[in-house]
Amino acid sequence: MMTNTLAFALALLQDSRLENVGQGIQHPDTSKFLVVAALMFCIGLAGVLVRRNVIVIFMAIELILNAANLNFIAFARHLEETGNLNAVAGEVFTVFVIVVAAAEAAIGLGIVIALYRNRETVFVDKIDLLKW
Amino acid sequence: MILSGWEAVFFWVFGLAALVAGLLTVMAKNAVHAALFLISALVAVAALFILLGAEFVAGVQILVYVGGVMVLFLFVIMLVNVGAEEREQEELFNSPAQVGLAIVFCAALAFGMVSIISRSAGLFLPPGGEPGQTLAERAAAQREERARREAQLPPAATGVSRLSRDTQEVGASLFRYAGLPFEIASVLLLVAIVGSVLLARTAKQEAAADDLDPEVKKSLESGVWSLEPEGRADPHNDEVPAASAPYSRPAPETQASELQTPDSRPQTLK
Repeated sequence: MMTNTLAFALALLQDSRLENVGQGIQHPDTSKFLVVAALMFCIGLAGVLVRRNVIVIFMAIELILNAANLNFIAFARHLEETGNLNAVAGEVFTVFVIVVAAAEAAIGLGIVIALYRNRETVFVDKIDLLKW
Repeated sequence: MILSGWEAVFFWVFGLAALVAGLLTVMAKNAVHAALFLISALVAVAALFILLGAEFVAGVQILVYVGGVMVLFLFVIMLVNVGAEEREQEELFNSPAQVGLAIVFCAALAFGMVSIISRSAGLFLPPGGEPGQTLAERAAAQREERARREAQLPPAATGVSRLSRDTQEVGASLFRYAGLPFEIASVLLLVAIVGSVLLARTAKQEAAADDLDPEVKKSLESGVWSLEPEGRADPHNDEVPAASAPYSRPAPETQASELQTPDSRPQTLK
């Protein structure tokens, strides 16, 4: 598996020769939007896994949702260019994702306030009542 | 979609800004700083939406996220005490082993996703290009095509730019094909409003709203229970001590009334 990964990385390096990279930077296409969204998702995931403060964890979740939204819009635009008549559905779905994110933030922050009132902490490793 | 010229420059500026601001959100010591960095990340993503031609979603993003959700975040940060991290009384991150494992996992995930996307980059080019065409030529052709399509749109009031049809299309699609999900979303928002009001109110507010459980109310009136948590000394201090139950049993000789004003408050058992 290790050699497979190495061979894959080598092929990647050979594949992206210098003029290709230059052209890619000068003319970013849909895949660059996907790369930004993927990195943003990973940053958000790392934030959820790494931080202790539940409010910052919520913010990291917002980052993850935004990465998904960026993917939706990028694919909607790509589908529109390939002639899909219903491509605007991606944008409509993004609106719904934003609505759900707003509801989630309202409920989640309400829970944070209730928790803080009862346990006086916002750190997830101290809220361990359900831990076995 | 192939961007070129200034659009490409703006893509890199806002893409990098979104990623850096996201990273700073996760790493900021102060929760208020984290919220501000998240706002800049959200604005940068809205700019990317505009680059993609989704002006309506960009507007919704600014209005709902930056105007609504982030204000809510800042209020909650203000209400709960998060200064302990900044004063270094509390650890910022989980234990080093957890952090290391999480970062390795996320880095592997990022590498995997980025390499797969760049391997299949050819799939994401718009159709219609000839085989021998370079990326620059295709971008130029696409820009011409877009300009031709834009010229058919009605001009804006200034006459300089054209009105985008994006909002119109999203609205039409939203109400034509997504009517039921739209209604469900409105019910969801209603549930969220009611839920967050219920979650965030105190026992005192519950009593004031006169919708306490009858049993609880009866025992409050008979003086068995008090609304005041144990060990509350300062009447102007709204912070409830840790691990105190919302309803606590007062000393037997005190007369606990239903709603106590600060000056007539009886001494509860310490």
